[in-house]
Amino acid sequence: MIEAKSLTKYFGSFRALDRVSFEVKKGEIVGFLGPNGAGKSTTMRILTCYISASAGTARVHGIDAFEDPLEVRRKIGYLPQRAPLYVEMSVWDYLRFCSEMRGVDTSTFKTRMKKIVDVCGLARVLGKDIRTLSHGYRQRVGLGQALLHDPPVLILDEPTSDLDPNERAEVIRYIQETGKNRTILLSTHNLNEVEAVCARSIIVSKGRIVADGPLDEIKALSGKVRYFVTLSAKGGKPSAQECADALRGVAGVTALRELPTDGSSHRFELRGSARGDLRAELFKLATQRGYTVLELRRETDSLEDAFKVLTRDDERADRGRAGRDVEEALAPAAATAAAAAAAEEDDEEEDEGDEADDDEKVDKAAEAAKAAGDDADDSEDDADDEEEDDEEEDEEEAAEKAAEPEAPAKSPSKDPKKDGR
Amino acid sequence: MSPTWIITKRELKANFDTPVAYIVLCLTLPAVAFNFFLNKDLGFFDINRASMTWLIENVSVLVVILATVLTMRVMADERRTGTLEMLITLPVKDHQVIVGKFLGTWAVVLCAVALTLLFPLTMFVWPWKLGALDWGPVLSGYLGLVLQSAACVGIGMLVSSLTESQVIAFVVTTIVLAFLHSTNFLIDSTETQWLRMALDFINFDSRVKSLARGLVTTRDIVYFLSIPILCLMASFHMLERRKWA
Repeated sequence: MIEAKSLTKYFGSFRALDRVSFEVKKGEIVGFLGPNGAGKSTTMRILTCYISASAGTARVHGIDAFEDPLEVRRKIGYLPQRAPLYVEMSVWDYLRFCSEMRGVDTSTFKTRMKKIVDVCGLARVLGKDIRTLSHGYRQRVGLGQALLHDPPVLILDEPTSDLDPNERAEVIRYIQETGKNRTILLSTHNLNEVEAVCARSIIVSKGRIVADGPLDEIKALSGKVRYFVTLSAKGGKPSAQECADALRGVAGVTALRELPTDGSSHRFELRGSARGDLRAELFKLATQRGYTVLELRRETDSLEDAFKVLTRDDERADRGRAGRDVEEALAPAAATAAAAAAAEEDDEEEDEGDEADDDEKVDKAAEAAKAAGDDADDSEDDADDEEEDDEEEDEEEAAEKAAEPEAPAKSPSKDPKKDGR
Repeated sequence: MSPTWIITKRELKANFDTPVAYIVLCLTLPAVAFNFFLNKDLGFFDINRASMTWLIENVSVLVVILATVLTMRVMADERRTGTLEMLITLPVKDHQVIVGKFLGTWAVVLCAVALTLLFPLTMFVWPWKLGALDWGPVLSGYLGLVLQSAACVGIGMLVSSLTESQVIAFVVTTIVLAFLHSTNFLIDSTETQWLRMALDFINFDSRVKSLARGLVTTRDIVYFLSIPILCLMASFHMLERRKWA
């Protein structure tokens, strides 16, 4: 439905988008995340044919955005950031204007309006001038405008910014309601909303896609998957040491920590690789040894943590700490992207060109990440020595290291404090 | 209905929904009337002739003021508030936006010009009959006003599409239009022949005056028509530029 292929956009010499590729399938609601200035709006503007990309192609509903922009716009309902509307018009007049522009005839307009008034909650403001409306209502009018022609594709740029919590919940509800049989690309800063409505999300940072996949996978990209295992220890058996050794022996467990308990049980926190699930292995082990399992829980980090890790470079640059070499600065992002790519490869075969590209990326990322990791050795107090020898695992650990928030900050090239001033 | 007409309609309505046009008309129409009848040297009753030339000259100043005020927001404000993005992402071509907005604004100025036709109509047709008026020069004079207003709106729109600030658009348009309208006052200040010719060539006032005297020349018509066409093309390119810059 929406297909972007290596979209690149330069504003003068500033690169706003760098080979952004993604796909949104029919019926999907995809969250489009990223810090301010990461390129979300730019991407959306390219998709809606408001601006042109410097390179790359975009297709919406099978139509090329550069060859037939008018047809693409017909298929899209678009709500730009902050819902810019003609404030001197009344709500009804404005919506009538939009529907006329879209060639919706009067009778169809009236039937559609009934539904839109209902879905967007506009009944009380139809006759009012838009200038008198609160921001929340303007947002609703904007959403109504986007739905007027019953488009198969909806592109919403921060539909919930500047709204109060009630209005926000309402708008999210509208999106859920209207999104049942549409393709929706939704950009927002509120990660809870993404978790509420989207199954998949794309995270961009500094014009690049740093993560694209189901929310669970993205959460795991922060490289922190923990397992909590509680084993019964009635009568002092088995001993904590025995349990710990057994658990450590499970393939894929990279770190183990014993948590305090009341003595009737042993509780451990294990760290595992970002992908995969060790619960089955752990349970098998417990049954083999005859341990009684009281708790076995897998926990990925919240989307917010993943977001922070993935887009950390933006934040750092904003604080004037981007004193590092550009390549080095990009390493963690590239590493996570590579990890994502590697994860994707498992799921589906990719065509050869892409694969070669990915391999290259992985290599580079692993290298760069190692370099970053070396600098940060002292900050690593975890049991990282227990790494598996498996190559893939290596890469991932490297990515993980690079993704540690503290690691690149310790880079010796420049003193962050000096830069800050 | 084509998108151009829908935009024209909206623009027209927007201009009548906001008080700007009314304020300008309320302030300038009485001034036009006052100057037309009571000017000491050129006033209608003083020259003792059934001539509308002086009225048309006055209205042409009104056209300049009105065009400046109305065009300042046309593109600048749309761009500043972001409504341009909303408008352009509707299925509409860029040139339709430009032409629609031009027509919508021009139409308002034309309404104002048409209002001033009430002067000759009330004076010579009904209820007063002050004598036999030669309608030829009046009509050619109004043709001049129509053409001049197109040129003024075109220039105003171009300036407006160069900036995001209404104030800048207003100031620049005022200066440009005031200059074009009054270069005939500058002609005497220079001896250089080519400069005098250039100043005379670009002058609005003298062309409207000659039309108002009944002298319809292709030169004047082509001059007045080429300005809005060029301006619209330039505005179109300014609008297209957003895609690449």
